[in-house]
Amino acid sequence: MSTPVARPRVAVFKFSSCAGCQLQILNIEDQLLAVVGAVDFAYFVMAKRENVPGPYDLGFVEGAITSTEEVKKIKQVRGQVRKLVALGSCACFGGLPSLKNSRTQREVEAEVYEHPGAICSIPAAGIDRYVPVDGLLRGCPIDTDELLELVKAELLGITPSLRTHSVCMECKLQENPCLFQTRGEVCLGPVTSAGCGARCPSNGRACHGCRGPSDDPNARSLAQAMWEAGLTREEIYRRFQLYAGDTQAFQEGGRLP
Amino acid sequence: MAFPMAAPAALAAARLARAALADLWQALAASHRMAAPVACDGVFRFQETADLAAVRLDYNTTILPAKKFFYPPVETIFRFHRHRGALAPDEEACEARRPLALFGLHGCDVRALELLDQVYTGEFSDPAYARARAETFIVALSCLEPGPSCFCTSFRSGPFPESGFDLLLTDLGGHYLVEAGSARGAGLLQQLGAEPADSEDQLLKTHRLREAVARFRRHIPTEGLPRLLNQAFQHPVWQALKDQCLSCGTCTVVCPTCYCFNVWDKVNLDLETGERKMAWDSCQLLDFGQVALGQNFRRDRAARIKQRIYHKLNYFREQYGKFGCVGCGRCVEACVKHIDPVTIVAALKGV
Repeated sequence: MSTPVARPRVAVFKFSSCAGCQLQILNIEDQLLAVVGAVDFAYFVMAKRENVPGPYDLGFVEGAITSTEEVKKIKQVRGQVRKLVALGSCACFGGLPSLKNSRTQREVEAEVYEHPGAICSIPAAGIDRYVPVDGLLRGCPIDTDELLELVKAELLGITPSLRTHSVCMECKLQENPCLFQTRGEVCLGPVTSAGCGARCPSNGRACHGCRGPSDDPNARSLAQAMWEAGLTREEIYRRFQLYAGDTQAFQEGGRLP
Repeated sequence: MAFPMAAPAALAAARLARAALADLWQALAASHRMAAPVACDGVFRFQETADLAAVRLDYNTTILPAKKFFYPPVETIFRFHRHRGALAPDEEACEARRPLALFGLHGCDVRALELLDQVYTGEFSDPAYARARAETFIVALSCLEPGPSCFCTSFRSGPFPESGFDLLLTDLGGHYLVEAGSARGAGLLQQLGAEPADSEDQLLKTHRLREAVARFRRHIPTEGLPRLLNQAFQHPVWQALKDQCLSCGTCTVVCPTCYCFNVWDKVNLDLETGERKMAWDSCQLLDFGQVALGQNFRRDRAARIKQRIYHKLNYFREQYGKFGCVGCGRCVEACVKHIDPVTIVAALKGV
């Protein structure tokens, strides 16, 4: 609970990411005008030409931190915002960029750049590795409904109700057939945080865990079920590595004894 | 509260030729929305359908139980607006809908509704639930072929239901035996003008029941079960289950007698209007037991697993006089880790 600001000044920052999560802000087409009326996008480079310097009431940060430059920059951002929200899985826990973390920086740099000499990257991490974070909007990309819930909660001065139980809950409430149980498709839904409305399994695709670990996830037990379903150790490791391999929970899943 | 269906013994019984099932369907469909087991994506669901040809009376079980018709998975309780600084509910006309007829419910699901009635129409009655239940016509179906996870005989909720229906269909091969369980069921039988059943039909039904019961391979021995559970609070089985359980909540969502829900307000961006929502919740989720300042009554996964089993097999009985499990097997079928009340009780008994 905090005192709400009448029309909070909002800033949107980009780090190592695909920009898809900031684009999601603009994708709230039917409610975008109402959002712009309710908050002041003071800094949002993707969306507007005139951007105003801080301080800001609310900062959204998209992307992982994967260079020492970015470490400095995220600390500066933290100093300019009253509340900091990680926007999307990259900012929450490393996301897709963290895929590279199982290899050396030199190896992955050489794979992408012809002359990697000037690249000084560090393992990709969520922003909370370097600065305190007030809220997480998970997902690759973020869910616009969750974004709206967070903005409304901020306007009301209350804690947003974004539950992080399993995707299975949302999947079952829609009475989807379980992909794991009925089609033998390995699904990360049981240990992945909800909030997406079980979008992938509802469309016949297994959950790839883009929203990261759910509450009290038992990834080790799911890994055992994946093993029994015929996946190799390498395959299981890769499943858990894809989006949130840097989280302790998914690391445990990937380390099947 | 008493439902019209609570009539004790069958008021009437008739023989219905297989082809005449359509007459029964039509007679009900004239004044009801029809819902029945329907196949889709290789699974069965209870669904509203106007078409008897789509109905699969050979189904084993559905993903979600029939409670979803009376107590929807997610629903808006009411809409509200700000009025003189306070929130006031919107005045909304209640949409008039034709009553529902559930066609083809197995004994386990019929019993489950009777148990939910005790919860939702007992000391604290939910008017929406009570209204929907009272006007719903239930055509039950004797279950001849138990599924691989079924254990309804443990609680006498099946395979053939004994109460809780308006009509009960039993497939006797060449024809159906239709028995009325309520005055309105008997009335419908009268209206159909079907040939009355004779003692041979009843004999055949008893025979079918014996055959069906003999097919069950799984059982929870209920004799002394509460006592067993009361002594098993520290049993090592709970720790072993903790290592297995994924905390996903699936078992409670598919359970026909689970009734916990969450209520929250979804405010619109104008911060002046919004809706109060309700959705099924689960005691298996970490945040279910969380209260102010982060305190949590069941932080330990083992405690949450224990809560589910104890509620079904112990606490519900203490509160309502019957076991809270109906042996439908949905939680077993839906669990990725195959966590199973039958094997849990067997482990507690040291079998």
